[in-house]
Amino acid sequence: MLKFPKQSYDHLINHFYSIILILLIIIFGISIPAFQRTPFHLFNHLSFIHGLAFYLLAISILMFYFLNKPRTVYLLDFACFKPSPVLRVPFATAAEHGRIILASQPKSIAFQVKIFERSGLGEETCLPHPLHYLPPNPNMMDARDESHLVIFSAMDSLFRQTGLDPKDIDILIVNCSLFSPTPSISAMVVNKYKMRSNVKSFNLSGMGCSAGLISIDFAKNLLQVHPEAYAVVISTEIITPNSYMGKERSMLLPNCLFRMGGAAILLTNKRSQRKHAKYSLLHVIRTHKGSDEKSYRCVTQEEDKEGHVGIALNLDLMVIAANSLKANISTIGPLVLPLSEQLLFVFNLMGRKFLKLDLKPYIPDFKKAFDHFCIHAGGRAVIDELQKNLRLSPEHVEASRMALHRFGNTSSSSLWYELGYIEAKGRMKKGDRAWQIGFGSGFKCNSAVWKCNRDIEATKNGGAWDDCIHRYPVYEPDVVKL
Amino acid sequence: MRHLSLQISLLEGKMVSSDKPNPVYDIRISTVAPGFISGHDAAQELSTMDLAMKLHYLRFVFYFPSPAFDGFTILNIKESMFNWLSHAYIPCGRFRRSDSGRPYIKCNDSGVRIIEAKCHLGLDEWLESRDDSRNTLLVPNNVIGPDFTFSPLVMIQLTKFKCGGTSVGMSWSHVLGDAFSAMGFIKLWAQAIVGHYPAQPLTMAQPQVHARNCQSLNPSPDPLSVKRVDPVGDLWSTSNTSKLETFSLCISTSELIRLQAKICREKGERKISPFECICVVIWQCVAKARQGLGPEAVTICRSDMRNRAKGIITNKSQTISLVKTDLSVAKSDPMELGLLIMNQAVDERMKIEETIERDDELPDFLIYGANLTFVDLSDVPFYEMEVRGQKPAYVNYAIDNIGDEGVVLVLPTPKNCPDGKMVSVTLPENQVVELKSTLKEDWCIA
Repeated sequence: MLKFPKQSYDHLINHFYSIILILLIIIFGISIPAFQRTPFHLFNHLSFIHGLAFYLLAISILMFYFLNKPRTVYLLDFACFKPSPVLRVPFATAAEHGRIILASQPKSIAFQVKIFERSGLGEETCLPHPLHYLPPNPNMMDARDESHLVIFSAMDSLFRQTGLDPKDIDILIVNCSLFSPTPSISAMVVNKYKMRSNVKSFNLSGMGCSAGLISIDFAKNLLQVHPEAYAVVISTEIITPNSYMGKERSMLLPNCLFRMGGAAILLTNKRSQRKHAKYSLLHVIRTHKGSDEKSYRCVTQEEDKEGHVGIALNLDLMVIAANSLKANISTIGPLVLPLSEQLLFVFNLMGRKFLKLDLKPYIPDFKKAFDHFCIHAGGRAVIDELQKNLRLSPEHVEASRMALHRFGNTSSSSLWYELGYIEAKGRMKKGDRAWQIGFGSGFKCNSAVWKCNRDIEATKNGGAWDDCIHRYPVYEPDVVKL
Repeated sequence: MRHLSLQISLLEGKMVSSDKPNPVYDIRISTVAPGFISGHDAAQELSTMDLAMKLHYLRFVFYFPSPAFDGFTILNIKESMFNWLSHAYIPCGRFRRSDSGRPYIKCNDSGVRIIEAKCHLGLDEWLESRDDSRNTLLVPNNVIGPDFTFSPLVMIQLTKFKCGGTSVGMSWSHVLGDAFSAMGFIKLWAQAIVGHYPAQPLTMAQPQVHARNCQSLNPSPDPLSVKRVDPVGDLWSTSNTSKLETFSLCISTSELIRLQAKICREKGERKISPFECICVVIWQCVAKARQGLGPEAVTICRSDMRNRAKGIITNKSQTISLVKTDLSVAKSDPMELGLLIMNQAVDERMKIEETIERDDELPDFLIYGANLTFVDLSDVPFYEMEVRGQKPAYVNYAIDNIGDEGVVLVLPTPKNCPDGKMVSVTLPENQVVELKSTLKEDWCIA
């Protein structure tokens, strides 16, 4: 019963401006005959100088607008690292290794088994070779080998897909949170691909799983200052040096979920490339809850009692993530939501705060603003929580769940695997809007909104999903018995 | 890390002799699994014969001299293995128990445990020593259990020698299949290294559905070829009352002819085959070494070529026959013993299967070593395991976890040795010296 009024309300508010314009034209049209009686009367009031000044002012305003308009940032293409089958860690093998390494702590083993059973990871996720050993004993050389493998492989794919020459790269941003050697990973990339000596390279470390979108934001800002430039963003997490060797339960989770992955993204502000670009970047919104003590301490890298370094996750992680998402939504909402949803939200807010009405907080329907959702595949719990909070259907979170299943939690690059999934399924059409949401330690919630520039075909171009997309989506039971 | 340190210490702590340092060092353990999803968690049922053999383990060591593994890094090796195991995923599974308690294999792609090691000595130096106990350093000595659901069925050890030679040690759980089956499995790896893959993955012979007989009021006694042991539960291992020792002999073709002539002297024709001659000789010498206290019955295991098919791992292609006599073996005529083995050996496989299926509790048996057991492995293609075109210089084969009566294995000789047979004898150590001297005195075999 409520459907018809709601739909008419939606149409009325969303096309508000168009309706007003049409009304104005009608009014003007009706009142023109009123003016027709004294045409020359009007012209006598206008002098040549006034007219010229008016037109010059209009032209100046337009020029001012175009010159200071933010440059549109285009995403030409991106490539995700596809691990070789040699690195595969089947479910049962991971559980078996965990059992052997933690043999003296049956409670930790039981906890780990519970995580594995409910993790949402599939049978094809990959770990770097040094972590296949019992016990793993990786050194710095191994970590560098992994970064070579992941980053160069993704970069080679990117060059192949776009035809870009490494010497054309003006800006290079690398984000890798937990491995930060000297020379930096960005220097490693410059060295490998023999980039120009005036390339602007940046290396972001320590910024957690949301660092991928921070890098995109950084690239966007740099592309405002540097005209006609290409920027390459590399998002990855090198897990070789970060295998936790201890027994603390709060630190075991990353071992179970983190897997190898990486992505390389090519951005540009060249207007000549806008026909070739896959996406244009509409917004990047960053929310930092670090000023709140609980949020700040919920994900910490520290040493346990025995001196093993690991990443401790607090029990209220989900609550903090939900709160940071709310903060992010309240900023992004006005930018992307249609007017109808915004008004509903405002009325609901005013009703609750000023009129003290007993209403449930209105959560705007983001399905009206976006066609595709890429939620950081941090774990099944994260995706479940966001699906609930944003009232999304299983189809909307399919990309996130399937990326988690096939590749595991690849940290900052997971958003790109998810976007790759949507493309590989042939679901990305011109004009579609995609929302990427990343969470990270700090506690940060960052989101990026992309608009698809052209229909993207699901071609087999050597991408990460090529050989397995036909098997997806898979149905995942809640608990997988080992 | 209890199991891990136990494994490492078992490997490192095995001394060749108490005053020499362990020549094998730098041990690293990892797991190799099928590179592509292969087993799909399918349940592989085990046949009754599989369960009969479950307490035994086959330990192979293939010695490859230098060019075979040159330039073949551990990552290359593992890559070939990931590809190999996608076509041979059953041995990569792990055991589970059905509701009735009967074990089966869950093909969950858990994988094969790989041990990398190095050796201080050169390959030639190692092989020259002719010390059989040395082989145990180059092959894992794992058993199934006590962590039943997480015990690997197959383990492989790759040891690099100082000169560049490499040994490949494989530990194979007999529950999967016999020596032919194990060779079929490892040869698939050799083919995978050069990029050849089989059309079908390795499969297990389908177990027949057994009609369970109602338990008879008077259960018949166990067949003589088996030894019933106390229920082993989840740890598939037994211990011996006395320490067993292994030694090997090389018997050339001319010596075999001489033995045949000596045994069949009156008849003039050679009616007894070389394998049976060896059985006769050793049976009689053991009887003499035990000073006439048996053994009255021996078990003979031979290959049953009718049941053997390519690409299948099975325990149904080996006959288990019992030969029994009431006469004194030490004093019998060797020809009589030979004829007994040839004509009076009774294949007990059906009886063994019935005995197991009859009992709800699925009893645990030892087959090898329940009696003095002779195993004919002359046809097993040990030396056809070619890695990058190179055959092994020597292959050592042993059956582990056997009964106290001992086993005698008749094996083919290495390619660069004179034609004949290798005979490997495992007996309680207090009988070995006597046996060796009897062999020398009576038959001139050293």
